[in-house]
Amino acid sequence: MTRDTRRIVVTGVGAVSALGHGVAANWTAAREGRGAIAPHDFDPGPNGPAAHTTPAALIAGDLVGPLEAALGRKIGASLDPFALLALAPAHEALAQAGLIGHPDLEHRTALVLGHGFAGIHTLEASYERFYGQKAARLHPLTVPKVMVSAPVSAVAMEFKIRGPVFAVSSACASSAHAIAQGAGFIASGACDIAVVGGSEAIATPGCLRGWEGLGAITASTCRPFSAGRDGMAIGEGGAIMVLEALDHAQARGATIRAEYGGAGLSSDAFHWTQPSLDGPVSAMRAALAATALAPDATVLISAHGTGTPLNDKNEAAAIRAVFGDRAKDHPVIATKSAHGHVIGAAAALQGVIGLMALTERIAPPILGWQGADPECDLNLVLNPGQPIAAEALLLNAFAFGGLNTALVFRRWG
Amino acid sequence: MTTLRDALLDLIAAEALIDRAKLAPSATLADLGLDSVGVVSIVFAVEDKYGVEIPEDAFNDAPDLDGFLGRIEAIIQTREAA
Repeated sequence: MTRDTRRIVVTGVGAVSALGHGVAANWTAAREGRGAIAPHDFDPGPNGPAAHTTPAALIAGDLVGPLEAALGRKIGASLDPFALLALAPAHEALAQAGLIGHPDLEHRTALVLGHGFAGIHTLEASYERFYGQKAARLHPLTVPKVMVSAPVSAVAMEFKIRGPVFAVSSACASSAHAIAQGAGFIASGACDIAVVGGSEAIATPGCLRGWEGLGAITASTCRPFSAGRDGMAIGEGGAIMVLEALDHAQARGATIRAEYGGAGLSSDAFHWTQPSLDGPVSAMRAALAATALAPDATVLISAHGTGTPLNDKNEAAAIRAVFGDRAKDHPVIATKSAHGHVIGAAAALQGVIGLMALTERIAPPILGWQGADPECDLNLVLNPGQPIAAEALLLNAFAFGGLNTALVFRRWG
Repeated sequence: MTTLRDALLDLIAAEALIDRAKLAPSATLADLGLDSVGVVSIVFAVEDKYGVEIPEDAFNDAPDLDGFLGRIEAIIQTREAA
């Protein structure tokens, strides 16, 4: 997808993850190298197998109370965690953009969020009640809490967003597709504002067993591009960006945080879990071409960097194929080593952290590093992070099933 | 000591997101903005908390909150006496 003639900027960001509640907490933890992946016991209860310890990055602290205080109304148990993890950063991003209560949210605003899964906490609890406890009746809000569009409906109802509102799903690339889709509404002139991002909450005993069955989960921690890496760690979180037409943002005097450059989207059409080289390469090339950076521009690369042996090796080869002799001019970060793999929310969360890095000119460190892997020979940003002079952020998200996305944002000012 | 009535009012306030102070005994379920989903949510929460089984249609003709709570209390007390 290429950006049309209408320039698009970011005017608000919001984030919540195991690193903390709010963008500032997430950025500070990432920058200071304070990761949140730790072993947790996941107990399926009396009707399941024994409790099992798995490394994961879980939200600390209460989500509902602070959100109720921010919104000034009760939420109670009406939303699954994956909807709360969209609503909280949506409030932060819209407040930062100065758009809460703004009349343009009514008709000139799109809302597109990505999720790899849906209301897994609610679904799993319902199934435990039904199949495990043999209860005949399920909670009347089970369906609205589980459905994949619950977060967009919750956000739209809360902030009265009445334009195009829907969810997209492409596993680990979901929120990148959401961002690209939202930008498309602005580029086409259909909307002036797009609230985009994603959320995910899948750290349940049953769902994690599914991931472990796939052989994708680390036994210790996520170590992107490192020797001895053995898999990813699941995280929970959500992140939102407010995209806005430049002319619209300037007309209302909004603070501009970055410019959206473009997206590259491709599909491997090849394999469920094995990556291909061509798909990621074509996605990165398309996103960079849409942004038309100067040939000597330094790009901060926020890698997909899951910490699985195959992904990181393939992504390193893809980055080298895209940048050729200049591959090592571009610093590479991999913040899943701090906040875990938040699946459908990954691109949005890494995007928010990456934009902070671009703005502050500091690259946060890759955690869990144990030494170089010759097959991952890149300009990796290791502890304690480093100053950067990047003009743009290249954000990769590659999904199981071979769905590839790359997004580019330019530094503003 | 918290009475069963107090505990049920707390539960309704939390489950149906209604201000506890508005739960007047003479209020009808409609006054409280309780639609069928709201009523079933409360029934569900009561079943979970007290381990009782409540027929879904037990409250269709409850005249007001007092009547509604009276029926729940009767079911819980019957179970506790059993």
